[in-house]
Amino acid sequence: MNQPVIIAENLRKEFGRVVALRGVSFQVEEGAFFTIFGRNGAGKSTLLSIISGMASATDGRIRVFGEDPGERTHRHRLSVISHESFLYDNLTALENLAFYGKLYQVENLNERMHAVLDQVGLHHRRFDLVHTFSRGMVQRLTIARAILHNPDLFLLDEPFTGLDQHATEMLIGLMDDLKSQGKTILLTTHDLQIGLRLSTSFMLLERQRVVETGTSDGLTAELLREKYFSLVKTSEAGQ
Amino acid sequence: MNVIWAIIRKDFQMEFRTKESITAMWIFSLLIFVIFNFTFEISRLLLLQISGGLLWVAFIFSGMLGLNRSFQVERENGNLRGLSLTPADPGLIYFGKFLSTTFFMLIFEALIFPLFIIFYDIQLSLVTLWIIPISILGTLGFTSLGTILSAVAIHTKQQQILLSLLLWPLITPIIIWAVKTTGDVLAGELSAAFQPVMVRMLVFDVIFTTISYLLFEYVVQE
Amino acid sequence: MTKPYKSQSFYVLAGLLLVLIPVTLYMIFQWVPPIKASNPTEATAQRIFYYHVASAWIGFFAFFIVFLASVIYLWKKERRWENMAVASAEIGTLFMTIVLITGPIWAKPTWGIWWTWDARLTSSLVLWLIYVAYLFLRRYLPDGTRRANLSAVVGIIGFIDVPLVWFSIRWWETQHPNAVVAGGDGSLAPEMLKTLLFCVGIFTILYLLFMQRRLEIARLEDSINRHYKEWETLS
Repeated sequence: MNQPVIIAENLRKEFGRVVALRGVSFQVEEGAFFTIFGRNGAGKSTLLSIISGMASATDGRIRVFGEDPGERTHRHRLSVISHESFLYDNLTALENLAFYGKLYQVENLNERMHAVLDQVGLHHRRFDLVHTFSRGMVQRLTIARAILHNPDLFLLDEPFTGLDQHATEMLIGLMDDLKSQGKTILLTTHDLQIGLRLSTSFMLLERQRVVETGTSDGLTAELLREKYFSLVKTSEAGQ
Repeated sequence: MNVIWAIIRKDFQMEFRTKESITAMWIFSLLIFVIFNFTFEISRLLLLQISGGLLWVAFIFSGMLGLNRSFQVERENGNLRGLSLTPADPGLIYFGKFLSTTFFMLIFEALIFPLFIIFYDIQLSLVTLWIIPISILGTLGFTSLGTILSAVAIHTKQQQILLSLLLWPLITPIIIWAVKTTGDVLAGELSAAFQPVMVRMLVFDVIFTTISYLLFEYVVQE
Repeated sequence: MTKPYKSQSFYVLAGLLLVLIPVTLYMIFQWVPPIKASNPTEATAQRIFYYHVASAWIGFFAFFIVFLASVIYLWKKERRWENMAVASAEIGTLFMTIVLITGPIWAKPTWGIWWTWDARLTSSLVLWLIYVAYLFLRRYLPDGTRRANLSAVVGIIGFIDVPLVWFSIRWWETQHPNAVVAGGDGSLAPEMLKTLLFCVGIFTILYLLFMQRRLEIARLEDSINRHYKEWETLS
């Protein structure tokens, strides 16, 4: 009944001496919380770049909402949250949202801005400059920016990098919310704990290939844990 | 159109809050005039001949500050990537940044020019008004290339050095033409070459805004 | 993988040059009659003209290839076009360097000064700076599609700027009456013209040889790195 939001078939990305993906296939169903595990350099960020239409694959087929992401027609249904906020420090919270709202051509922008600011609990600080915000507040405004245009698909690119415990919990809370709203979420992380807690299905990338896929029931999760730690160990032994 | 306007508006909001760019450019030009005064002791006649060059040295050196500043803010929190992830056409993002840096530079030029007149005792006449179109054409040439090359340099750690290395040789033509026409205006008499050179400046601007508009997409790709 | 390190075209080109470069030297120093000059040094120095002009020609040609390869790269997104653009930029910069060195060697005995802001010398210097900046950009970036994209953009903008730089500096020179040093190349003797064209031909072959070598090296580098990565994956 659920339609796949992302279909990737045998994606390859090679350029000269750089090999970023060696034939990666997977599907993400609508409403799924799909986590891509992998260590640095495993190919996670390249995959996200291709899905968001920032990079193109050398070979293979990729469809997001049934279309080629390189055409950028899916952009208004997509939101990216990374460890960078994309916000301007010398603009107020409201000005930041107004700016991105215009680029995404959000309808009823004014109402929408106030609604999302309420949602992340920053309404009372809407006229304050971002550089006066604490790390946690910046994080919340980043979330407000990401949900402003009401996207259907979220790409979360190592969003926990540099976050403290509190901000991490808040981000997890947001993801739970989005999940219950039926949004599709794609998360990349090297953090097994958080990833497994949230996801409905997962994929483990290692050396630019898929080495394990599964759903997050107890058994496969245990399998993943073993596999992941054995990978980390062998690489440490090799150094 | 909305995209271009949104970017210009955003840059102006930030600039008028901090006034960092325009003030820095203005002070820097002032410094150039002062230093110039001490490094070259020249007669008034010679000064008249080279004042066009002096003015453009001030414009361009200070303009580098403005360009660097304009792209510093797009780099701080990965903003350029954030912009490129929106549905907005990359060419329009280019135009937004291009126009906002151009406006900043023109505002700064308008603010420094009176000081230049006072410092170097330039005789004013109706001909002096030609400085306005010259500044616009010259600045457009500088910023059209400056904007795309800033976006290129932003991807390296040596952003500022690289921008200078890339931009300076490429803008040689526009500097030559701007200095010559400005010299005419400051001397109070337009030479026969004045109009064809203005046309050349316009052609330069059109060529490089078009090329940059077309190529900007590849600058933001990953 | 069985591709030989030195292909057949290398031996053909190298063999050709081995024979023909001495011929250019014979033509330049023996066959061409000396020019009428105020002193013998000037007449001898003038003979550098043939390599000087031939180098300039190769410089321009190489930069044109950078432009062409950059455009094709942005269209096809294939590594070999990037490699070709870079190879040509390096070789073009090398030949432009030769132009900038031979120019003053010629200028000193002829005009009495090492450097003059003559239109051709100045333009060559500015072009050289454009492509040095291009090579710098590549140094500052890690290998990958981003570097390829950015250098292609600069390669295209740079070449479009070449004629504008050239004409603006030419025009600038005519505005400055104190730069009186004209080239003195109003008319060439038939032997001179023939020698010049011959040198240009030989330098073109030299360019092709360098390109062939440089591309071979790029290909080898890529394949070594690829094999290393492959081995890393297996172990």
